[in-house]
Amino acid sequence: MSAEDQIRDSIDHLFRHRAGQMVSVLVRQFGVANIELVEDAVQDALVSAMKKWPYSGVPDNQSAWLIQTAKNRVIDQLRRDAKSDSIDANDIDIPEEREAETRFESELTEDQVRMMFACCNPAIPADSRVALTLKIVGGFTVSEIARAYLANDEAIAKMLTRAKQRFRTIDLEIPAGIDLKERLDAVLRVLYLMFNEGYSASEGSDLFRQDLCEEAIRLARILLGHPLTSMPLVHALTALFLFQAARLTTRIDAAGDLLLLADQDRSQWDRGMLATGLDHFRLAASGNELNDYHIEAEIASLHALAPDYSATDWEGIIGCYDALLTRRFSPVVTLNRLVAVGESRGAEAALDELSGLASNYLMTSFNLYHVTRAHFLAKLGRHREAADSYAKAAELTKNETVLRFIRRKIEMLKSYE
Amino acid sequence: MPNYLLLLHEKPSDFSGLSADAIQAVIAEYVAWSQKLAGEGKLVGGQKLKDEGGKHLHGFGGEFRATDGPFSETKEVIGGIFTIDAGSYDEAVEISKDCPHLKYGGWIEVREVEPTH
Repeated sequence: MSAEDQIRDSIDHLFRHRAGQMVSVLVRQFGVANIELVEDAVQDALVSAMKKWPYSGVPDNQSAWLIQTAKNRVIDQLRRDAKSDSIDANDIDIPEEREAETRFESELTEDQVRMMFACCNPAIPADSRVALTLKIVGGFTVSEIARAYLANDEAIAKMLTRAKQRFRTIDLEIPAGIDLKERLDAVLRVLYLMFNEGYSASEGSDLFRQDLCEEAIRLARILLGHPLTSMPLVHALTALFLFQAARLTTRIDAAGDLLLLADQDRSQWDRGMLATGLDHFRLAASGNELNDYHIEAEIASLHALAPDYSATDWEGIIGCYDALLTRRFSPVVTLNRLVAVGESRGAEAALDELSGLASNYLMTSFNLYHVTRAHFLAKLGRHREAADSYAKAAELTKNETVLRFIRRKIEMLKSYE
Repeated sequence: MPNYLLLLHEKPSDFSGLSADAIQAVIAEYVAWSQKLAGEGKLVGGQKLKDEGGKHLHGFGGEFRATDGPFSETKEVIGGIFTIDAGSYDEAVEISKDCPHLKYGGWIEVREVEPTH
């Protein structure tokens, strides 16, 4: 573990959350056009604290100190800019308002929710929304985002610069009426992608990826703290996140290799998170609307509630996947459903269904199709065919963790021959 | 007990890309160090000096000349000072050794203050 990883492991991210809060508050005060000025001012304020507090001690109201310092920087910079443009400094619109110590928690939530809608605005390219949300609302640095995404800093910086050009032209608002649902869907989609990016096993520092999961949960909770966005489907998404996050650390063994659900140590699942997940899952059921997040949360709950792998309610899970598949076709969902079919109705039944999909290129070009097939062939003792299927899967992925998993399986199958 | 001045020298750096997590961690380390000293009754005070480098005054016979910082010839500045109570130089050095400033690339000048009487 590097020194930086150790810091990240021991810290509660309080400053990062504050950075996001300050940007949200100050952008509302000074306008979206000043987004970069505000971001620089917030960074300056944090650096000032780092330089000063070691000597002076930490002020009683840290948030108030930080936001006042950042606000002063913005005003100073606006005055300097005005001077160079020969504008009368008195013409600068300086917002007068109560500072952080007298602001209500609800106002802070309002600012952050608005900012989430802004980062997920239709004007922002869809593929930059997660990064932009992490940067602006999450308080992540460019390098932190780059590390979580295994991209280089320049690529992320470029993407953010382009996204912010669009950002400067949009309205800061919480959409009302019929727009709300569609716009909220876009926000939830971003949180879903953020969480999955952190959750899906891949290379790179696990801690940086774990951060993405935690951030997605934190932002979902901010939405739940606002009366307009505290909706059943947001509870459903939060429940899904918590059920998945509760088993995050058990998905990888001590050597960093992937463990399948059947092999995970259930005693290590985070019981507190599962319980909170169940609370949200109950609240998710209060509406009359059913969407993908509800179904996915239900599947996750069935896994989470099973005392062990074999006692899982597989038929219940198959029903959920059927419901998802009637809403939209997805190779991943199809294969997950087949795993449940295999557990419940036997490997033979699952293989039959897989054969029916062999002409679908979307399926056969996907490494997990072959991994799933190999898994059932191995169960039936057809080791040579299983090894061939794993080999096909290996050709279709570049992910090192997955490749290691596949090679291990092939070794094992060879030892049976 | 004698007073010692700790002068914390450092190279001015660009922190624009430093993460909020790292900033939080740095503050936490310094605060832990100074609170431990304060708890032992050994911390007299601490002061941050402003970054801009200050002014240099030189006398030339009856004349004097003042120059404003930052000074291009200065590669280091004194970032701030702590005053501590310690029984001896050895103890003052011992206390300073734990200061996170050293870990982050700065160095510390320890000076004993002459008693006024």
